[in-house]
Amino acid sequence: MNSQMNSQMKKQMNSHTLRITAENQPTVMEKLLQVARYRGFIVTGMTMFPEENNQLAIELSVQSDNSVEHLQYQLHKLIDINNICVDNNATMQNLA
Amino acid sequence: MSSKQTKTGAALVFEVLQQHNVKHVFGYPGGAIMPIYDALYDSDVKHFLCRHEQGAAFAAIGYARASGKVGVCLATSGPGATNLITGLADAMSDSIPIVAITGQVSTQAMGSDAFQEVDIIGLSLACTKHNFQVRNVNELAEVLTQAFEIALSGRQGPVLVDIPKDIQMAQLEQALELVTSSKEENEPIAPANVGSALALLSQAKRPILYVGGGVGMANAVNELRAFIHTTGIPSVATLKGLGAVDCNDNCYLGMLGMHGTKAANLAVQESDLLIAVGARFDDRVTGKLAEFAPNAKVIHFDIDQAEISKRRAVDAAIMGDLKVNLPALAMPLTIENWRQRCQQLATEFCNDYTYLGKGIYAPAVLKEISDTLHQQNMAEHTVITTDVGQHQMWSAQHMQFSQPSNFLTSGGQGAMGFGLPAAIGAQVSRAQDTVIAICGDGSFMMNVQELGTIKRYQLPIKIVLIDNSKLGMVRQWQQLFFEERYSETDLSDNPDFVALAQAFDIKAKVITEKTQVSDAINEMLNHQGAYLLQVKIDAFDNVWPLVPPETANDKMIEKIS
Repeated sequence: MNSQMNSQMKKQMNSHTLRITAENQPTVMEKLLQVARYRGFIVTGMTMFPEENNQLAIELSVQSDNSVEHLQYQLHKLIDINNICVDNNATMQNLA
Repeated sequence: MSSKQTKTGAALVFEVLQQHNVKHVFGYPGGAIMPIYDALYDSDVKHFLCRHEQGAAFAAIGYARASGKVGVCLATSGPGATNLITGLADAMSDSIPIVAITGQVSTQAMGSDAFQEVDIIGLSLACTKHNFQVRNVNELAEVLTQAFEIALSGRQGPVLVDIPKDIQMAQLEQALELVTSSKEENEPIAPANVGSALALLSQAKRPILYVGGGVGMANAVNELRAFIHTTGIPSVATLKGLGAVDCNDNCYLGMLGMHGTKAANLAVQESDLLIAVGARFDDRVTGKLAEFAPNAKVIHFDIDQAEISKRRAVDAAIMGDLKVNLPALAMPLTIENWRQRCQQLATEFCNDYTYLGKGIYAPAVLKEISDTLHQQNMAEHTVITTDVGQHQMWSAQHMQFSQPSNFLTSGGQGAMGFGLPAAIGAQVSRAQDTVIAICGDGSFMMNVQELGTIKRYQLPIKIVLIDNSKLGMVRQWQQLFFEERYSETDLSDNPDFVALAQAFDIKAKVITEKTQVSDAINEMLNHQGAYLLQVKIDAFDNVWPLVPPETANDKMIEKIS
């Protein structure tokens, strides 16, 4: 995605941030990104932070005209994802 | 050979399979799964050697769908694993519980582009409910147990377990304990939103039940039939929902959608309340979505939250187990006028089997097979599988099924080549029952190698090959929507199918005229072993009626204008 196209998309589409808690499994990030792409969301930012008990805290920023609730439901079906909420006030810095 | 005293990962695989009551598996050996095939040699699990991994995957799906159990297939790494992908995609779309076990190159070789190495975890991400790669033999039992649990839980689906060769050969450090399910039985709980759904139902004047594949998968056919009995509600079904409603119900209007009945589509369009039960508003069902059931409120029963309001906004969603939730809404309704209207539609648009000339009309053949099965009280004990195309839609339109588990067809993916291997799986799971594969001449050739599997295991499968020497459905669309430009749909150089079947010791016969049909059906059904009945039909017979793409379902076309 080049920056010009990216800025055009930003104007047209809704932005959302998802806060996710997941099992720290090798495939979990791939699965997350695959579902987001397939369901029509562009990932604009992502941070990932290992926590205790083999958990990952993930913050995923996405853009799409599609309903973010539906992305949430689809992601929630992934076996390794434990918790997911839409938090549009979140920033990438919050996690660090 | 490994010593009997020690236990390898490979031996453990079969121990865990047996714990899960797996008696039959389908597969194909190869380098990276050889330790598992070596352990199979000593196992009581019966393996069916298919002749292509895609055949093994479809056989596992047919097994699962006909029996309600988890289907299991095995393949080696690399091309063995990639050949499973179409089957996994089919199982994902149609929510079928299968466990696919793949061999992988040894852990020390992984990531080095080793011989027959492919990243099957990456490849199968999008077409499995979940996948695992086992990196430690001590985790193998737990992973396999989880695979079975995930395949069967909630909305069912395929799970892949990739096992590197060194893990298969590794000695277990700890004794296997019987792994019991960690899941507790759910207490039946009253579903939320029942109040608003009951209000919608009691106010509705023209309610209709839209029955999907979820009913059969939830084992809720009896609850659905009781709901229909109590409410008197008219009903329609999706391709995967066929068999759920009692086909003798006089307000059951058959399949809806692109090749549904006109009665079903018109009734849905006229309805003021659509109750979707385990259905997902697929594009082949809705036609032009914005004009689908335009005056209807929607109640949606499902087990998958992600299906709620995915394509059509819902007024009341009832999540969870249909067995529990359907009875919660069952109440007598006062809808006699609407019932009469639906019966009138059913009468007005009933199927017409008039067909001029000596040639054979495929819908009439399929109806006669279905009627014969019902008359001889064989319907409950007969599984019909299909391939994909015109014969599939004719089967859905003109045959009647007593249970969803008696009609196996590739719905969401429309995977050609499904019918023959799915019939193998169905026959293995229900050895005493009759299994009939309705195939098209295009689809049949896609997994024709499975005739070898039928021969090897002496499976008494009946094959009805509807042969128009075309890729008929594509040819029909070329005729209707692509100015009769028949690009790559001619199959007039098909092989001699009778000789082909006979080469696999399968009795076979070809018929070309309608006077031959009844005797041929009886001969096929009365034959003890496998049988192929090739039914030659006109290349230009079409599937009617039809909703053209992106058109509202009330605008069905019934012939070429």
